Amino acid sequence: MKTFKPWTSVMHSIYIAENDLRQSFKSVRHVVWSLLFPIFMMFTFSFRYSTTGGTDIEYIKNILVPGIVGMTAMFGSTNETMSIVWDKSMGVFDRILAAPVSSTSIIVGKTMAGAVMGVISAIVLLIIGTTIFNVAFANIGAVLLIILLASFSFTGIGTIISGLASEPREAMMLSNLLRFPMMLLGGVFFPISAMPMPLPYIARALPLTYATEALGAIQTGYPYTVFFDAIVLLIYTIGTILFGSQILMRIMTR
Amino acid sequence: MENAIEVKELTKFYGSLLAVDRVNFTVKSKEIFGLLGPNGAGKTTTIRMICGMLRPTSGTAVIAGFDVSQKPLEVKRRIGLVPDISNLFGELSARVNLEFMGKLYRLDKKTRRERIDQVLELFQLKERQNDLVKYYSKGMHRRLTVAAALLHQPEILIMDEPTSGLDAQTARLVREILISLNKEGRTILLTTHQIEEADKLAQRVGIIDLGKLIALDTPEQIKNSTQGMRALEIKILNGEDQQKWLPILRQAEGVDNASLAEGKIRILSKDLSQMIPTVVNLVDKHGGRIENISVAQPTLEDAFINLTGKSIREEPVSKEDYLKRRLPRSGMR
Repeated sequence: MKTFKPWTSVMHSIYIAENDLRQSFKSVRHVVWSLLFPIFMMFTFSFRYSTTGGTDIEYIKNILVPGIVGMTAMFGSTNETMSIVWDKSMGVFDRILAAPVSSTSIIVGKTMAGAVMGVISAIVLLIIGTTIFNVAFANIGAVLLIILLASFSFTGIGTIISGLASEPREAMMLSNLLRFPMMLLGGVFFPISAMPMPLPYIARALPLTYATEALGAIQTGYPYTVFFDAIVLLIYTIGTILFGSQILMRIMTR
Repeated sequence: MENAIEVKELTKFYGSLLAVDRVNFTVKSKEIFGLLGPNGAGKTTTIRMICGMLRPTSGTAVIAGFDVSQKPLEVKRRIGLVPDISNLFGELSARVNLEFMGKLYRLDKKTRRERIDQVLELFQLKERQNDLVKYYSKGMHRRLTVAAALLHQPEILIMDEPTSGLDAQTARLVREILISLNKEGRTILLTTHQIEEADKLAQRVGIIDLGKLIALDTPEQIKNSTQGMRALEIKILNGEDQQKWLPILRQAEGVDNASLAEGKIRILSKDLSQMIPTVVNLVDKHGGRIENISVAQPTLEDAFINLTGKSIREEPVSKEDYLKRRLPRSGMR
């Protein structure tokens, strides 16, 4: 019979997450480059003028900043989780596999690191967006909850990619195949309602859509939409993490 | 416990490729056991199964009394693995790498700090402990990899090609440490493709080739398998590679095997007196001139050649050997 020590497993997950994040933050250049892309996109799309003249502050407040925050969570989480593929190719994943650490602890640790990276990146963009454009979020607690849920669901996608990809280049291609359509169709730059058919249907299949919609709905004051989107994100989180874990578990116990 | 490692009928298929074929051996407690074989022979796969990192297709491995398939974590707690490649976190310093490993083995803070200081001292890495590992030389990488495996003071140390690619000085340091760890009472299982290493270090050696264990004994006993044989070393002058002479000499009557060793052709034969004139005539007939000729005692390398029909220094897996190990799907176990 296997002896399961919950506290040891929890600590192992924390150590693995801590080690991953330590490596990510060690490289200042890596952190700066990963944040420059969403900052650049946010500024580029902010040059949109309203029909009444001047900058369209309603667009920035309700669509662009929430969209960019959601998108940043997506890039932050997936990039961090995909470090598994690099770890596998460099052999460092074997170092963890050779230690007395359960497969579950490894997956939980990697997931935690991905979610934390997603949340931190999104919060940085949230601070930059709200400060530069002088827009305030109505309910910061709800914003943080949505960012957390979104980060976990993107982490799940990251684990699926990590499980499927055999080497880093394949992981990059797979992730771009998923992330770029999500970025363009997920309501980051254009509201879903403004998209021609059948794009709104495709958008409804993407987790980023629910993250950006929920963050936008917090601004415009639609609590039911926020609640509905949060539930969808939770379902996405559970589904993707379970599926990703299954694939990773198969790799670890070949 | 008499046996630290007991491997029974261990088999691994990768798809239809038979990587390890019903391997059986035991490693006695406090013994240095060498698994010797060319690259691609199945040594690393065997090690990975013993360490619980790879699931065997069939067979069992019992380590420190625990079946690795049933109790992988118990096994992992008791072993220290030095993999064939140095797999440390390059973006972190040596100290942080060791801290992380210590945490995974649940060493408390005080013990962790003490042990890290000890291994850094032992492997002469203290001066550079705070440098990022990615800036380390290959030798330093290797020393740190061994240090990381010793942190939790495992009773069994499993080392996959511990001195591979190291300069002579570092290789000697690693070997010295390995011997002193064994004297402290640790069991060591090492894989190597370096005959001299197995000969010098291991108390018993298992020779593995094409996934099969083909000999298991003390180095002396394995060398005795060449009993009655003598080795002849010749260097041929004809301005060409010595390699081209191997197939010619292998055809000669009385020659049991011919291989290249340190730029010379090494010929094994049971009847040296008959073989020498045959070889000289054959070289002459093919337009070569013998620069140097000497008689030597058979070595472990000769025993390896005698058992496997090839030199351990030859290219790892030939296409023929690869196809031999590939079974039709219906033949899979």
